Amino acid sequence: MKKRLMFVLFVSLTFLLSFTPGLFAEEGVTDTEIHIGSYGPQTGPAAAWGAVPRGTSGYFKWINDNGGIHGRKLVYHMFDDGYNPAKTKAGVKELQEGTGIFAWAGGVGTSPGLAIKGYLAKKNVPWVGPATGSREFVNPPQKNLFAVYPLYEGEAKVLVNYAIETMGKKRVAIAYLNDGYGKNGLRGALTSLKSHGMESVAQVPFEAKDSDLKPHIMKLRQAKPDMVLLWITPGQAAKVVGISKAMKFDTQFMSVSTCSDFIFMNAITKGAWEGVITGTFGEVPDSKLPLMAKYKKEIFDKYAAKEERWGIFYYAGILFVEPMIEGLKAAGRDLTREKFITAMENIKGFKGVGPEVNFTPYKKGDIYSRQGTSQTFLVQCLKNGKSKRLTGLIDTK
Amino acid sequence: MDMKRDYYEDVELFSSPVVVFWFIVLIGSLYLFPMFVDNYYVYVANYIAINIIVAAGLNLLVGFTGQISLGHAGFFAIGAYGTVILMIKAGFPFLLALPCAALVAAGFGFLLGLPALRLEGPYLAIATLGFGLTITQIIGRVELFGGRDGLHAPDLTIGPWVLDTDKEFYFLVITLTIFLLLFMRNLIKTRVGRAFIAIRDADIAAETMGVNIVFYKTLAFAISAFYAGIAGGMYAFVLKFIEPEIFTLLMSILFLAMVVVGGLGSMLGSVAGAVLLCWLDLKLRNILDIPYLGEWLKDLSENWFSITGVSNIQYIVFGSIMIAIMLFEPLGLYGIWIRMKKYWRTWPF
Repeated sequence: MKKRLMFVLFVSLTFLLSFTPGLFAEEGVTDTEIHIGSYGPQTGPAAAWGAVPRGTSGYFKWINDNGGIHGRKLVYHMFDDGYNPAKTKAGVKELQEGTGIFAWAGGVGTSPGLAIKGYLAKKNVPWVGPATGSREFVNPPQKNLFAVYPLYEGEAKVLVNYAIETMGKKRVAIAYLNDGYGKNGLRGALTSLKSHGMESVAQVPFEAKDSDLKPHIMKLRQAKPDMVLLWITPGQAAKVVGISKAMKFDTQFMSVSTCSDFIFMNAITKGAWEGVITGTFGEVPDSKLPLMAKYKKEIFDKYAAKEERWGIFYYAGILFVEPMIEGLKAAGRDLTREKFITAMENIKGFKGVGPEVNFTPYKKGDIYSRQGTSQTFLVQCLKNGKSKRLTGLIDTK
Repeated sequence: MDMKRDYYEDVELFSSPVVVFWFIVLIGSLYLFPMFVDNYYVYVANYIAINIIVAAGLNLLVGFTGQISLGHAGFFAIGAYGTVILMIKAGFPFLLALPCAALVAAGFGFLLGLPALRLEGPYLAIATLGFGLTITQIIGRVELFGGRDGLHAPDLTIGPWVLDTDKEFYFLVITLTIFLLLFMRNLIKTRVGRAFIAIRDADIAAETMGVNIVFYKTLAFAISAFYAGIAGGMYAFVLKFIEPEIFTLLMSILFLAMVVVGGLGSMLGSVAGAVLLCWLDLKLRNILDIPYLGEWLKDLSENWFSITGVSNIQYIVFGSIMIAIMLFEPLGLYGIWIRMKKYWRTWPF
């Protein structure tokens, strides 16, 4: 009797288990959905960066309308953290522990990101393309975290190399923001100068809150540079270039990829941005690349709000997560975090609207196992914010 | 009603055994709380408890002593940086680093209290505002403090225990919060507390009666800063990472709003204000998930207030709630509580 009962129990249990969909599925994955989380400031002083998660949102809608991924739709959970790390952490925990998120995409800012980096690592939740170029996200590399944003250091190196080797510049001055972002740029520039047996003629630190920039510009001008590298905020860079022109301080300005939205920069400097050379982490807004035109037509024109602008922040939201979609596709229908991470590690030579993306299997201490991009190219601003491509893709390693 | 017959009734911590009973029930349920809720709510509780400590300290200054501070994020930052640096660079254990850092904050509070002797109202507000803004600028420029790159908090160990999870950390935070609130309540009932209140009500009269204004005003600043310092030290371990840009003017304003919305000159008000504002700040975006109302608000936001299509209506609701509380109950949440108590006292007659 007892044996029979056990048998019936066993059979019914097996039957039940085999018909319960998704019982063994991964957190955040159901039969029809994959839950992806993200955050970014929509309000407050850093709200300009808020276009990044909105770009991602448009991209995911487009993926869904084109059939989703292996029969599943992406469910995108984005919240406004106002660039306040305490709120970022609260929001991430709420979604991770309440809704259950399979993986995180993008996420704006260094300090909000650093507040959650350890938490996601501990839970081994994959995270692709945080919108920050800080080294701390890949140094040391972390198994769950795949960075797409190019490192600032390499970009600065390429810019200064170009100035010296191609343009024959001899007196390089550096204006940098006194934080991780600025200092990474400074480090890269100094490395390049050193390799050419040169030294900078001036190094002028800026604070993010500095608004009266005349003393900084005077200092730069006194050094009589023939090239000034600007590793400061876009607003400050615009001011420096604008005021310098008014002060008849005529020199070649070069700047970082965050200032490569030429239409915008040209508009706020009333045309003074013309001639400035920058690195770029992706295509320029008016790029002729077919994929860019396709994204603009099929994503931006269709899903973006009326007042949204097709600027670099918006499509950066696409660029940072393109490899994630590639990884999800490669991981197959039977999706788990382990499979997804392996699929991400196997991404080789992937080309979307950003530089080429390559990852390798996780190796302790190897930054480039988790830093997917190491290329940039240089562009110059022309009249009316149009851009001219100066170089092909250059390795920044 | 609350008829006091002698001095000791005025200074006792609990007015009746019933109050003691409910106090014990409250403490017990606070300690049992993490066993019944998700980890996320424990994190939120930690965040709120830390804000309660700051609000209690700020209320001592604003509500009880009649001074004002728009620079409490500065003391908060000193506490956070002090604790982390003492642990990393000087090898202090957490339980020693925390009060030491808070004492440093208290020292700065004392210094800021000195100009307060001559300044009042809006002038004092500007002086404290300047302090709050300056301190983060200074921290950002000093390499020892990690500059603009910030600092990572080390592992939090107390004796043999490693407080790794939110739940483990909760027991530490809640213990400290209860202790600091009890201490504050006790302080207000002593000679020192009455001196603060006397200064608030009429400083010249207080001085005539023999209250040493210089001593008590600076003391109020120092104690208030000490509380903010303790809270800051724990905040560093909630985030596990600190950088100067976290401690903004907005943070100072939110602290002040907690005290005013909660109820000036009331311990209960500090707690209620901190709980309400933190909760709204973190959770109000879920208002959009409410059927009908949420959709209506979303439409309203997208059509009139947001150019990007992402709803920002929660901030408008947040502001409206604060305005409504102050409009209908100038005593804040504490005033609402008193009215409720009065109403129920005679219920159902």
